[in-house]
Amino acid sequence: MREAAGEGPLEIAERALALAGAGEFQVTVVRERSLMSRFARSVPTQATAVDDTSVEILVVRDGHTALTSTNRLDDDALRDSARRADAAARAAARSGPGTYPGLAEPADPPGHSGFDADTACLHPAHAGAALRAVFAVAAEHGLEAFGTWSAGAVRTAIASTAGVRLDEELTDTFMKVVARDAGGRSGFASATAPAAAGIDPSAVARRAALKISGEPLAELGPGAYPVVLEPEAVGVLLEFLGRLALNGLTHVEGRGALSGRLGTRVAAPAIDLADVPGSPRTLQRGFDGEGVVKAPLALIADGVAQAVVHDRRSAALAGGPARSSGHATQPGGSPYGPAPTNLVLSGGDAADVGELAAPVERGIYVTRLWYVNPVREKETLLTGMTREGTFLIEDGAITRPLRDVRFTDSVLRLLDSTQALTSAQRLVSEGEFYGRRFAHGVVCPALRADGLRVTGATT
Amino acid sequence: MLDLLTEVLASAPARCSYAEARHVATDEEDLLVRNGRVDHVDSTSADGVGVRVRAGGGWGFAATREVARSGIEHALARALAIAESQPAAPAGPLTAVAPARGHWSCAYEQDPFDVSLEDKLELLFAAEAALRGDPRIVRSDAACASRRVRTAFASTEGAACTQQRVECGGAVAVIAVDGDELQVRSYPSAHGGSAAYAGWEHVLGFDLVANAPGVAAEALELLSAPACPPGRATVILGGDQLALQIHESIGHALELDRMLLMEASYAGTSWVSPADLGALRYGSERLNITADATLAGGLGTFGWDDEGVAARRIALIEGGVLRATLSDRGSAAAIGLDRSGGCARADGFARQPIVRMTNVSIEPGAAGTLAELVADTDDGLYLETNRSWSIDDRRLHFQFATEVAREIRGGELGRLLRNPSYAGVTPRFWSGLDAVCSASEWRVWGLGNCGKGEPGQLMRVSHGTAPARFRDVQVGVA
Repeated sequence: MREAAGEGPLEIAERALALAGAGEFQVTVVRERSLMSRFARSVPTQATAVDDTSVEILVVRDGHTALTSTNRLDDDALRDSARRADAAARAAARSGPGTYPGLAEPADPPGHSGFDADTACLHPAHAGAALRAVFAVAAEHGLEAFGTWSAGAVRTAIASTAGVRLDEELTDTFMKVVARDAGGRSGFASATAPAAAGIDPSAVARRAALKISGEPLAELGPGAYPVVLEPEAVGVLLEFLGRLALNGLTHVEGRGALSGRLGTRVAAPAIDLADVPGSPRTLQRGFDGEGVVKAPLALIADGVAQAVVHDRRSAALAGGPARSSGHATQPGGSPYGPAPTNLVLSGGDAADVGELAAPVERGIYVTRLWYVNPVREKETLLTGMTREGTFLIEDGAITRPLRDVRFTDSVLRLLDSTQALTSAQRLVSEGEFYGRRFAHGVVCPALRADGLRVTGATT
Repeated sequence: MLDLLTEVLASAPARCSYAEARHVATDEEDLLVRNGRVDHVDSTSADGVGVRVRAGGGWGFAATREVARSGIEHALARALAIAESQPAAPAGPLTAVAPARGHWSCAYEQDPFDVSLEDKLELLFAAEAALRGDPRIVRSDAACASRRVRTAFASTEGAACTQQRVECGGAVAVIAVDGDELQVRSYPSAHGGSAAYAGWEHVLGFDLVANAPGVAAEALELLSAPACPPGRATVILGGDQLALQIHESIGHALELDRMLLMEASYAGTSWVSPADLGALRYGSERLNITADATLAGGLGTFGWDDEGVAARRIALIEGGVLRATLSDRGSAAAIGLDRSGGCARADGFARQPIVRMTNVSIEPGAAGTLAELVADTDDGLYLETNRSWSIDDRRLHFQFATEVAREIRGGELGRLLRNPSYAGVTPRFWSGLDAVCSASEWRVWGLGNCGKGEPGQLMRVSHGTAPARFRDVQVGVA
């Protein structure tokens, strides 16, 4: 039994690889250190600190993969984990040859600036100071504050029998504030950045407070309306587009929204969408879950579909010239397929949301979308609600608060109906960290689209 | 482990008013056969301790994978430092609890980890093969999952207990595509199938191989079936869809932390308030809902919750009237209750307990079998197996889609309809409930993907249901 003190993730990965024995192995070590503070009614409610390291061992046998994961780092545990993975892959291989093309070849990822040493300290005082600042702004406005401040430092290392040796540490910070008045009206704002210093908690709280209006709620019935979507709402839609249309596995299986449509116009000419993992405006990543180095990839250019993203598994199924684009979400590829992690939607010419709203006679201004889920995947048809900052646009101006509405509409149809975008973009994220912290976001502007299909409203 | 947790916590009272430590060891295995090949064979083992403290009214929680004394002591120190660094908070009360002592384990016959990988794959290969044969089926899946969780819990109030849960589940599913039309069909339910705290016998009981051909046939039939027309209709919900309907529009709405605005920034609030207890008419007189953490096989079943509160069965809604909420020690005390609802649950060692559903179920009615309920319905739709779900942040306005609908005409099931959907407003929808099938149709459905909390927690819950009929429902909305 051995678990060396101070051993880094790459050293752990190399030790596990040495213990695995003969075969085709990839070892991925992820260490998460994170801190999250929640608050409600301007009082701290929960604070969670996590320090955990997981070791994933992928083995490849005759085109089949098996994956084991453990957070015990001693030799016996790692050896046992490798043995179980190998036994599972051998069992799978008895059914005949599989389709997995083997491990990635070594490559050097470009350097990036996605790590901030100060953020990585995760000092509880940083969280406390952020909460105090938000509470002060809320008090100034006679409001209560609800929300989250969170920071994480996640280090990932990969070592494989193919010679891959990769090691990177990323930091991220996320804050959201819901400001609420005594009558239950609420406004939302959020911020995401690689470094804690990149977020001004007071400014986030002020933006949220400005979304609250005491005017009577307007109502809209079912129908199609021009819509101005803030970046937070655009980001949610683009994340779903990634899952339903840009996912190479769904594409290869003929069930993707872009199946048979690459090279054709699928969105308005103003839509330029790419995955740009090295952009300093995103939460940068150098490589994916299979150790494939990431690179910029144009997905929709001038409204024309250019490409979908692949991991090694989906690229092998696609055949021909298809290669992994560095979008595996786990070692060996996920059963759900690859996913873009650094989407960037180019901005347009509009100075701000006011300018986006100017041509709209009667429409909807949306701050945040909620509980969005696919209805019919191949059409990118989604349904969801607006939340915490929905307003009526009347005669070119954002005027009265609007009762939250349900929309049921297609992401691709909305992008095809997009008429204008702001020049300014923002990194947005939902800040949800289920399982191991995997921070990702979308860089996007606000946009105006025609004909958002409203199918209901809250009461 | 219990002794170690207790010893480490012994130093806590000098710096905090309350502390608890929870050791969780989890083993999981997921197998997937897809399109004639083994697609995934994944297994996970995770082991760690989470320590939660309360100091000066503030809470702190720290989790570590280092389960030796030094690691747990460090986690305790970190939790204390976090609690102390928070802005000042009032020290609200906690309900009293008798110290949890002893051991609890769920019942199961055959430990799924004793079943060989070869035997499991043989079953999945047979089931998946029975799905294939038509080129319009672009994906055919047969999957099973096994899980074992062992916990030890100790607190500065004298709790010292251990628990073990063994879980199994399985499913088959297909995706059929013809041109722009895509249809999905699953069995026994969507989203990975229905799991239970049970052994391998639970998976065998689904008879995946025998049911697979019907699943594939319905998916293909749906490709050319007429679309579900829009309008208002009488609807019978199958048991699995009713489980999700209860989950979203009753279970979450009755979480007391939501009512108290503690989840306002993420999961949301509720259209129900504590003042509604005993008075609010939630639905028709046929609506009887319980939260039962003692239900055999339920994924919300335990000996004690993650605050050490003993499992209990609570009537949430009786005769359509709200009687109780889902609560933990803090939220219960906040509204003056003297006893927690026993609903504090945490997802693994690295998350702290929050208010969660246990097994929230509709009690059986007197409408007989599903066949008898259909025979009693002149004109309507039978909807089965969830495909899409969405509800607002107050759990009031919802919209669901199911994989399949069948017309009901003159008391008989008729044509298959594709892309069925329905929408409603929670109390109006439940007021339209006019019949629930009898106990012979009542099944427990396990859901493994209930998301809540920050950082996110996926909780496993179950819902007992029997098919039920609702009048005047808006359908064909998407």
